This record gives sequence, structure tokens and C-alpha cells, in this order.
Amino acid sequence: MIRIRVVSWLVVTFLVAACGSTGGGGGGNSYSGKTINLGAVFSITGPGGVYGPQSRDGAMLAVKQINASGGVNGAKIDLTVQDDASDKAQSAQKAQGLIQSNNVLAMLGPTLSNSAVAVHPLADSLKTPILAVSTTGIHIVPDCKFPDTSPCSYVFRDSLGEQTAIPDNIKAYAEDQHPKTGVLLVAQDDKFSSDGGTIVVNTVGQYNITLLKVIKFSKNDADLSPYVTQAVQLKPDVIFITSLGGIPAKIMNAARNQGWQGQFLGGNGFNTATVSKQAGAAGKGARSASAWYIGNTFPSNKAFVDSYKTEYNKDPDQFAAQGFTGVMILADAAKRANLTFTDLAGDRTKLRSAMESVNIQTPLGPFQFTSTHDVKQTVWVIQMDGAGGFTLVKEIPAS
Amino acid sequence: MDQQIVNAIFIGSIYALFAVGYTLVFGILDILNLAHSAVFMLGAAITYSLVVNHGQSFVVACAIGLGASAFMGLVIEYVCLRPLRRRHAPPIAALISTIGLALVIVAAVEQGQVGSFFSWLWVDGANSVAFPAGTVPDPTWHVGDLTLEASKVLIIPISIALMLVLGYVMRFTQVGRGLRAVAENPRAARLMGLDVDRMITLTLVISSALGGLAGILFGLALGDISPYIGRDNVEVRGLAVIVLGGMGSIPGAVIGGYLLGLIEIVALVTLGSNARGGVAFAALFLMLVLRPQGLFGTRLRERL
Repeated sequence: MIRIRVVSWLVVTFLVAACGSTGGGGGGNSYSGKTINLGAVFSITGPGGVYGPQSRDGAMLAVKQINASGGVNGAKIDLTVQDDASDKAQSAQKAQGLIQSNNVLAMLGPTLSNSAVAVHPLADSLKTPILAVSTTGIHIVPDCKFPDTSPCSYVFRDSLGEQTAIPDNIKAYAEDQHPKTGVLLVAQDDKFSSDGGTIVVNTVGQYNITLLKVIKFSKNDADLSPYVTQAVQLKPDVIFITSLGGIPAKIMNAARNQGWQGQFLGGNGFNTATVSKQAGAAGKGARSASAWYIGNTFPSNKAFVDSYKTEYNKDPDQFAAQGFTGVMILADAAKRANLTFTDLAGDRTKLRSAMESVNIQTPLGPFQFTSTHDVKQTVWVIQMDGAGGFTLVKEIPAS
Repeated sequence: MDQQIVNAIFIGSIYALFAVGYTLVFGILDILNLAHSAVFMLGAAITYSLVVNHGQSFVVACAIGLGASAFMGLVIEYVCLRPLRRRHAPPIAALISTIGLALVIVAAVEQGQVGSFFSWLWVDGANSVAFPAGTVPDPTWHVGDLTLEASKVLIIPISIALMLVLGYVMRFTQVGRGLRAVAENPRAARLMGLDVDRMITLTLVISSALGGLAGILFGLALGDISPYIGRDNVEVRGLAVIVLGGMGSIPGAVIGGYLLGLIEIVALVTLGSNARGGVAFAALFLMLVLRPQGLFGTRLRERL
């Protein structure tokens, strides 16, 4: 009990300090007795269920802590989380309900880039701020209506895009080991994965890595052995994997079983303990760039990790950290936005403007948005430790 | 290519084992039991859950998983099929009711989280999980350039042996003769004193046990157990196999399974990974156009 109190005190202190650090005109405005309605659409079930529950848990933890520390200028946060079952159509339907029926001030989500294609343009057209906390594909921000390139001014992202993560990871490894050849294994029927594949293809040439073959498969294929056999027979120095869920682990196990000893490089799909655990010894040394690293000891992360463990009795992962950060960002912006609680459309616009100037300490490190509403943060290159965890390889400061 | 042929034989065995159950029900009842893929998943899920969450040995878990799968055959018969048969509903009604049951089973497993109502069955929600290393001895052998994993190699003789036993039972035993009589003409079989309902129940129990076993072997060998393994991996391919082999034909399902595995791999190697699914289903289409009854399909009275 004492530990819970100490951790809660630390987190609350940190949150108050973080929210207050930006100053802002609305900091002293009292919202006492009001409720800030927020919504979230996450993939709790379906294939995205590997990530969505952690985002939800992280977000709910932040809500609980902020409310316990007196709320946002006295206002309580009420977060409604809905499950889109990893389905794009359901995701848009749930988002529309939250915006138009539940009258939420702002939203988090959706979990998958594939669903964001439907949800983000919708939220933007309804002028409701939406913060992506796990989508890492291309054209999430600022051009959520791609191929229409007009900016989506209500769409933000606190998840590290693959456009940053994958090149940073390849660069870090190329500088260390100078690989010459690679093969890409990419799930072709998923936006996140295929975007990642495109990024790998566009990046390797800069580091004199010859891509021997691009092997595409379906995310629904359980038997990946034939694809892995194709890759291994080419004897590449590196196998790049851009895919979701348990697939990277299965590829690693199959490749090691077939005797291949080279390096695995990947993207956000590697970054959960679930994948590292499934890969086991076969995954040891597999590298990816992450938005977050559990072993970081700076106060905002340590407080988050401790409180998450206390609350849920398990380790958080990157998705939990990003969900937690998402609520912190919205709370900080709401604190400074001089909300009226009578003019919802006006409040949404004020919140959007306040979000652009967020500058807080989070579990992800110091956090700001770029001018295109993307995340500006330190990148952590990590590698699987072969026992279900990760170790830090390199820290790349925000550029 | 050698390793790819090993891959083809392995996955073909899974397709064949799954499709035998599918085709058995079609052969007797003239309906497609679309809950079969859900039973496939359930067999794997229950076995995994017993090993990992309830601390049972693999052998005990496997036996209970098989028993539960066989029990699902009873559920399919008593919940989905018999009430409709009593009302002389058309086959499409049975097809829909089995789809409904499949959705319920998948949803139940999907809801399984720690603290949920279904936590006794499954606690991993939508996640894909694998049996822990060492659940069964799984050495890897290297023969020349070939890599042979015991868990995959084992599937081949198990599948072939089971299919031979089933073929023998259908051809040469009293039960098999009864089942074939029901397949040929249920009314005549009933008039001859056969308990048709019992025969149908038996068919569904055997079919579901085979489906569950295919699921367990699949989960063991591929390290992929989730609520979606049936839907994503074998449901449509199982249909393709029984069309290739001949609807209702057990030898057809066996040959069709291996053929589909081989076609997929040849397409992958020669035309590229994109072609894997496309070529397999192009072959299916060709078969439907050129020989609609499939490789081993014959007229109704000669089935099985």
C-alpha cells in the first residue's frame, strides 16, 4: 500500500510538473465541476488485439492518475474506449459515434494504420482533434487523406512513424556492421507492413545494402516456412521483416531452424514483449528502433513503469507508454485551452491549437509535435535479449 | 527446391487431415459443415490452454482437446443440424447455422482474457500464441541441405495413418457400411433398420475429432494458435481441397490436400510469393470447369 502511495505521489507530482511546464494562458483557468469527455477507438479484439489492450491500459492509467490528482484544472476526464475488432469499417463507425453521439472533445486511436485511413479523415472533417497513439504507417500525418495532400489539421500522432524508425535502425546497424546484402520479408496485405516494406526498399541503397529479393506474403499465412526457405537460400547478411503480430517471431524461429545465422532488422512490429517472448532464443540480437525503452531511468518513465506494474501486475510495453502519453498530451492541451464547456466546436478548435504547442516530459522522453503534427522525440534502437525482453543498443536524439 | 518439397508435403498433410473431416460430413449429409474450421481452432486452443494455463502434460491435454473436439460434433448435430433436419429445412439453412456456430466459437475464444467469463478456456484474447519450447521433444535434423523438424515430420505419418484407418473403417466395417448406406439414401437406410440419426451423429463426432487433431498438430508444428487459425488458414483451402479431390471423397481429400500444398509451393518458387494463393485457386477454377466432380469425385451413390 505504501508503495502504491509513493508511486502515485511520484506520478502525480510528475504529471502536475509536466502539465505546468508549458505555462500557457489557460493554466490558471478553473474547470472545477466539469467533465472532459474523451474517446478512444482501439483494437481490443482481432489481429490488432496484440497492441490495442496495452494502449487502452496505458490511457486508462493516465486518466486515473490525472483524476486522482485533481483533474485538469479541476475537471475530471472521462475516457470512453471502444473496440473496433481490428476492422476498418467498424473503426470508422465507432469513431463517428464517439464524435457525434458521445460528443467527445478529442479522440485517441485507432490502433491500426489500416483503420486510420478511414477514421482520421472522418475526425478531420468533423473538426475533432484525434491523436494517433500506435499508428506508424505512411500518410498518417499530415496528409491523412492521401493521395489528397491537403493537411489534416485535426490529426496528430504520438507514435514514432516507420519513416523515422526503420531508416534510423538500418543506419545504426549499417554503421556498426556494414552488411552487403539483404532480403525483405513483408506482409503485403496490411498497410503498416507494406508501408514498412516500402521504406526498407527506399532506404537500403543509402547504406550500400543490395536487396536480393522482396518476398511478399499474407499476414494470414500461418505456414511461413516456404517464404523463409526462399530467403535463407539466398544467404543474405540481413533479413528485414516488416510485419505485425506474431509473424516476425515465426520468421525468426523458422530461419534459425533452417540454419541461417544473419541479422534480423525490423520496425515497430518487433517492439512488444509478446514478440520477443515468442521469438525466444531465435530472436536474440534482432534489432528495431523504438519510441520507448522500458529500461530508461529518467523520472517520467520510471514513474510510469512503476505505476503500470502496480496497477496491472505486468510490464508495460511501447503501446502502453504511447497510450499513457496520449492522455497526458490531451490533458496538457486541455489545461491551456481555456475551454468553455458550452461551445463544443469552439472547444475542439481551441484544443487543437493548444496541442500544437505541447512540450512535456513523458515516458517516451521530452515530447513535442513537429509542424506537421508528427512526434518529435528520441529514438531508441533496441535488440531482443533472447529471453522475452529487450536491451538498449543506441539512443538517437530527436533531430 | 528440395526444402520446398518438404514444406509442401508438410502443409499438404495438414490440408488433407482437415479436409478429410470436411468431406466426410459432405459425403454423408450433403451439407458443408462450416463450423469445422472453428473446431480445428478449438482443438488447438483447448490443448494449448490445458498445457500452459492448467499445467497439464501434453498427452493429457491432447486427449482432452480431442475429446472436446469430438464433443463439438455432438453440439453441431444437436444444435445446428438435427432441428433443421426435423423441419426438412434446405441444405443452405444447415450451412448458415454452422457458420453461426463457428462465429460463436471464435467469439467465445476471442473474449477469453484473464478475469473474463471464458478465462477457463483461453486467456490470450486475440493474440497468437505458441506451445512453450519443450512441450514435446522437437529436435531438428539436417539431412544434406534439408532441415527436418520433428514436430512437422511427425504430422505426415500421423495424417496418413489416420486417413488409412478411416478409409478402412468406411470400406470394410459394419459402421462404415452403415455410413455409406446413409450417404446413398437416408430413407432407404432407415427402412432397412439403420439408426440414421445415430450414424449422422457418429459422422460428426469422427469429423470433428479429425478437425480438432488437425488443429492440435497445426498449432504444435507452426507455433501459431489464435482464434483465427481456422478461418485464415484452412477454411477456404479445405474447400479447395475437397473440390480438387472430389466432393465427398476421402481419397480425394487426401490427394487434394497434398496437391494443393504442392501447387502452392510450385507457384511460390516459380512465379513468386504473390502467386501462391492465386495459382492454387486458379487450379481450383480449372478443375471446376474441366472436371466438376474433382479428381476422385463420382456420382452420389458411389461416394465414400
